[in-house]
Amino acid sequence: MRQIGQAPFSWRKVIAIPAALMMLAALASTAHAELMIRVTKGAGEAVPVAVVPFGQSGDLPGGDNISTIIRSNLEMTGEFNPLSAERMLSLPTNGDDVFFRDWRMLGQRYLLVGNVTREGDRVRARYELFDVNGERRLLGESSSTSVNNIRTLAHHISDKVYEALTGEPGVFSTRLAYVTLDENEGKPRYRLQISDVDGRRASVRLESREPILSPSWSPDGKRLAYVSFESGKPQIFVHELASGKRTAVASFPGLNSAPDWSPDGRSLLVTLSRSGNAEIYKLDVESRSLTRLTDHWGIDTEGVWHPDGNGFAFTSDRSGGPQIYIKESENASPRRVTFGGRYNAGARFSPDGEYIYYVHQRDGAFHIARMELDSGNEQVLTRTGMDESPSIAPNGRMLIYATRQGDDSVLTVISADGGAAYTLPAARGDVREPAWSPILR
Amino acid sequence: MTDPRREDRKESRPAWTSPVILSLLLHGVIVAITLVSWHWITPMEEPPEPSISARLVSPETVPPTETTSPPPQPEPEPEQPDPAEEQEEKAEQRRLEQEQERQREQEEARQREQERQEQQRQEEAAARERERKAREAEEAAREKARAEAEEQARQKAEEERKAQEEAERRAEEERKAREEAEQRAEEERKRQEQQRKEEEERRRQEAERQRQEEERRKQEEAERQRQEEARQQREQQLEQMAREAEEARVAEERRREEAAAARARETQMLNEKSRYESLIRDALHGAWYPPSSAREGMSVVLRLTLLPSGELQSVEVVESSGNRAFDNSAVSAARAINRYPIPDSRDTFDRYFRQFTIRFEPEV
Repeated sequence: MRQIGQAPFSWRKVIAIPAALMMLAALASTAHAELMIRVTKGAGEAVPVAVVPFGQSGDLPGGDNISTIIRSNLEMTGEFNPLSAERMLSLPTNGDDVFFRDWRMLGQRYLLVGNVTREGDRVRARYELFDVNGERRLLGESSSTSVNNIRTLAHHISDKVYEALTGEPGVFSTRLAYVTLDENEGKPRYRLQISDVDGRRASVRLESREPILSPSWSPDGKRLAYVSFESGKPQIFVHELASGKRTAVASFPGLNSAPDWSPDGRSLLVTLSRSGNAEIYKLDVESRSLTRLTDHWGIDTEGVWHPDGNGFAFTSDRSGGPQIYIKESENASPRRVTFGGRYNAGARFSPDGEYIYYVHQRDGAFHIARMELDSGNEQVLTRTGMDESPSIAPNGRMLIYATRQGDDSVLTVISADGGAAYTLPAARGDVREPAWSPILR
Repeated sequence: MTDPRREDRKESRPAWTSPVILSLLLHGVIVAITLVSWHWITPMEEPPEPSISARLVSPETVPPTETTSPPPQPEPEPEQPDPAEEQEEKAEQRRLEQEQERQREQEEARQREQERQEQQRQEEAAARERERKAREAEEAAREKARAEAEEQARQKAEEERKAQEEAERRAEEERKAREEAEQRAEEERKRQEQQRKEEEERRRQEAERQRQEEERRKQEEAERQRQEEARQQREQQLEQMAREAEEARVAEERRREEAAAARARETQMLNEKSRYESLIRDALHGAWYPPSSAREGMSVVLRLTLLPSGELQSVEVVESSGNRAFDNSAVSAARAINRYPIPDSRDTFDRYFRQFTIRFEPEV
């Protein structure tokens, strides 16, 4: 846990200072011998990448197209700008047919070619990724899956390509959990759904006429904890996804809300008002034992674990309005970390623990903001006005949040630094409370 | 050297023992003997033999008989006196010999007469008588010869003694003379040795003097040459200094001009360098797509080699970031530029842009 307001101590800086001095000395000694140009900024644009439609052989199910899914996945990250197939000068399906000059002329930096073959009940994809300027192959693999699982294969290839190009693991094979609200026979219908990250292949795991809130993935991706009002009062359930088994782990009098799995998967941070005031507790999932972690007359809620499992962040109005506080450990004093604006709530840590993302009110609108904990620098990431419930992708490169689009509530994916936004096409109607799963093994 | 003992002996000897006096005495004795012998050998009328007759017979017919002639007299050994006395002695001896010959012939005539007379009377008695006489004569002759021989031996001994003394004297004289000669020779040798030494010393001193003189002359010559060389060297140094000063002045002037030109060129090159460095940086900014994994503090260094046309000849990673995607993004950016902006000046290009390095380090 890092503290804001204190002189930040960073081994990286300790190492960086002498390294910088040595570099300066080296530069001074070689300045005359060899010119050194420093480049510190990139194009600030999405990387042009060409995903050539994969060749197909055999009887493949219609609908899903691997190259199309890959192209959409890459585009969704905001880091890549895939070339439309219509602009391509040729459509090679393997490396031998690639003429790099053509792709250089089109300004493409990387090129993905491949083909899909039906092999009985399975589909095999062979693909190659090229550095166009370097005219060299960066990736060349072959993967297969069942014939009706082509999207999984496409997401797998997307993950491989993304990792090869960015050095970060891809998250296209992860899942999203969210809650939709619609009306059925004149009554509201809340449904807890799980889908691919692009919103496809959504499946309902829980349906209720009462609100469903705050879904949270267990670290192993096999369970969901959420709040359900199905009994007429808020309860916290743990839902095993494979079996559908649901367990109410917190049904205390008063408020039972905002569950968040500990990194070790053994406990939940929950908000309970059993004492008459909303406080943060640690709930052991197995033993159901409770440990009170906050004790203040103000409302303390929305507790989330730091990724290292030590300390947590929460929202409290103890200062007069909702602000974000951090406790470095269970017994440490809470420390306020947000000071900009009157409303800062719903904090989430980035996977590396260096940032928190939260809902920030500014000029009457609610945005998703990001704060670097070391420096305290705050950056508003969204331009929409009714943003809530941010959830961070497990690679820390994207986040999803709920926002209003006309009369509907939609889910939008943006890059973690506030880049291009991508709205999930599958989410229609009121979609809220998104939760990004961990990387599923 | 003279033996002093010999000198003492000489002085102690009586005067009559001097060789000269001895010699005179010896001659006087010889003369006296000669006169006496001459008197003795002067023919005297001997009384005729009684009844002796002689007849002349042929030698062949005459049987050999014992001769009554006296045995041959031993001849006195020649003396070794001085020549005058020797001649005189010889003449005396010849007279004695002639006298003896004459006496012998007379004796033979008497003997022949006696033989003739004996033969005539009693050959036997005569023969005995002759034999007795012959024996007597022989005895007398023998006695005479013995006396003569003794005399001669005495004389000979005397002569030998004299000769010995003379020889010793001569030997002494010769020894003295030899000693004197040796002494003189020694003295001469010493003198010559001394002279030779003196001569050698003189020559040595002369040689030393000449050597010193030569050395002094050489030193003077060397000193003169040294001074001459030093003078020439000083002159050469002065000339060299003047030449160097002039060269330095010219070189300094040229250097100033070149430095000014170089500064101007350098300024121009630096201007061009800065300008094209900025252009290249801008081009790379537009071409670089840092991956999402890029973090502050991460950097990759590439070395680029350009062709004079500005085209990229080669690119290599000289310092990796450790992040493959990050390195790839930098290499891809470097390769993405078809033609790098480069200065028109070939010197500036060669100096700064023929080969250069790029450090990609994101500032997040």
